[in-house]
Amino acid sequence: MKFRAKIIDVGCLNHFTRVVNTVSRLTKACVLRLTCDHLYFVLSGRVATGGVSMWCELSQVNFFDEFQLEGVSADANEIFLEVAPENFSRALKTAQNAKSVKIKLTKKTCPCLTLAAELPSLSSVSRVVTHDIPVDVIPRRLWHDFREPQMPDFDVSIYLPPLKTMKSVVDRMKNLSNYLVLEANLNGEMNLKIETDLVSVTTHFKELGNPPWGDDGSQSSSPTHRDPDLMAEARVDIKKLQQFLMGQQVNPSKAMCNIVHRRILHLIFLHEDVSLQYFIPAVE
Amino acid sequence: MKCVIEGNGVKVFGKAVHALSRIGNEIWLDPQEKGLAVRTVNSSQSAYACFCFTPLFFQQYIPDPDIQNGCEAVKCMLNMKCVLPLFRCASWKERRVDRCEISVNIPNSRVIFQFHCRHGITKTYNLGYQECEALQAVFPAHLCPNVLMAQSKLLGDIVVHFPVSQEEVTLSISSFKVTLKTFCEEENNCIKGMNTELMLHPDEFDYFQVGEDSAVTFCLKELRGLLSFAEPYGLPVNCQFGVAGQPVSFTVKDMTLEAHVVLSTLTDPNHESPSQPAPGDDCPVNVTNTSTAEITTCESPMETEVCVADGEHVASSQGSEVFNPDLHMRKMIQLHAPGEILPKLSLIPESALTTPVTPATSKIRSLLFGAVYSDGGKDKTADLPSLACASDTEDDGGTEE
Repeated sequence: MKFRAKIIDVGCLNHFTRVVNTVSRLTKACVLRLTCDHLYFVLSGRVATGGVSMWCELSQVNFFDEFQLEGVSADANEIFLEVAPENFSRALKTAQNAKSVKIKLTKKTCPCLTLAAELPSLSSVSRVVTHDIPVDVIPRRLWHDFREPQMPDFDVSIYLPPLKTMKSVVDRMKNLSNYLVLEANLNGEMNLKIETDLVSVTTHFKELGNPPWGDDGSQSSSPTHRDPDLMAEARVDIKKLQQFLMGQQVNPSKAMCNIVHRRILHLIFLHEDVSLQYFIPAVE
Repeated sequence: MKCVIEGNGVKVFGKAVHALSRIGNEIWLDPQEKGLAVRTVNSSQSAYACFCFTPLFFQQYIPDPDIQNGCEAVKCMLNMKCVLPLFRCASWKERRVDRCEISVNIPNSRVIFQFHCRHGITKTYNLGYQECEALQAVFPAHLCPNVLMAQSKLLGDIVVHFPVSQEEVTLSISSFKVTLKTFCEEENNCIKGMNTELMLHPDEFDYFQVGEDSAVTFCLKELRGLLSFAEPYGLPVNCQFGVAGQPVSFTVKDMTLEAHVVLSTLTDPNHESPSQPAPGDDCPVNVTNTSTAEITTCESPMETEVCVADGEHVASSQGSEVFNPDLHMRKMIQLHAPGEILPKLSLIPESALTTPVTPATSKIRSLLFGAVYSDGGKDKTADLPSLACASDTEDDGGTEE
């Protein structure tokens, strides 16, 4: 198993760092899946995470100048590593002005992702900072746990309002209630609602637009026959939604959510070369 | 003692207090003729810091107004928790504080901090103190084979790569590179945490001298206070150290103040002898040969002539540009109760500070100071007043009364 990669463009480095920072805000531990073309940060829904799962996909060619991978075997040319994204984030943080950053899989006292950054220095010789990030190699027999999630059979798909606005609404609602209902219809209308014994608050968003999934994208049997005013809703733990919104460092080109009525809230953020999907299960 | 600090100086003084608070829980005020020394030591006595403000720093500086009564300037120990809040929100205070007066009221055992602020507001804080012996570390930095001088910004840039929670780091030096890396005591811990290593070329330092390739491990946390003090003022930092086990010292100097942090380092586990050889012995730096002799024979001058508070006799230390030893030699005398003449080299005062000192449990204990003078041949000199006088009876080797 071998892995080496190198970033030399400072823009790519910053972008990659932002992605890693976003992931580190969403979870303390996740799986990094490496293939020849992509990197994936995967969190599979478990009881421990409250059923939340995440799938973040990056196309390696958009970030790395060099990328070499030798997977577990020829027919399974991939590497799965369990890593704490916060370590990764910390290692990248101080390397933002590096001339180059090399990442490779090494074995110190335990398997590590070693990140070596060449920094500008006062002398002719560059400063080199090396970070050894401990990782766990995930054996092949467990790989099926970390498969790409299926697009759920959603009832409604809608573009999200501006994230900043949504975040400030959710932040304030969090003070009042532990659960939030997100409902939306195919008319571009979305409501965020909380209800407690003392108070109920609803924030209405209009004219958000609905993504045109089309027949081939959606697995829903007849999306066009759905009453456009009919709301699909999901009641979720507000902290999980807030955590997701807080983590975003970059405004995505496209932000949308798919709602499976009373089952799942599926949030999708698309940026040029990164896609982030986040699944929050609905609670009663 | 009475001194007056004007507006900007209050901010600097406050920052110094902040830096000291990163190390110890008590603060020692020691007014001397050459300036006000503000010191602290940590509970395991593995870290010592001293900020000495020269008279130039103050608008007015009177070390001991009662000199006509024959009283010596009183040395006060205050609780850090009482002093630190007075200098909180430094930037805010700086806008509003015109001057600060610090004085000692001996009859009531109070140190009075009086802040004269804008709009005619005066804030007076009376803090109770404990009278004590001077806290002093004697550290012959000039004997250190390895010396690095760098701008504080460089050190800040180096240290930023390490997490704030990181305790120990190892600084290694050789003629072609300087390395700083995280230190893990046991293999198991390394697996959980990240290991970081930074490598620099000697050219990056303003001054680079390697007398002996070595790697010293010390607590980074305790150094950060000094670095955050020095960086805004763009002061260069001087770092001196020897081999593993010998203390490492960091100094920042300016016309108006001199700040000194001395940290103990882990001994090299491969070293058999618990006591390190006297640093001067093999050291190829150019100090006068009297330096090593100085260590072993200092007891005689100590006992007789140098008793008089005139430390100028210390020949060795005069070789050092960066470290003023006069202060220390005088201190060695002042460790005793005022007025007492030394019949013999009583190194640790009987009445040590009343603050109970927790015996160090980790490997980095007061090898700090004991390790510097390691030639155990002479009992009297083996354990010197180099130990912070906060030490209780638990010392390296035998101490004479």
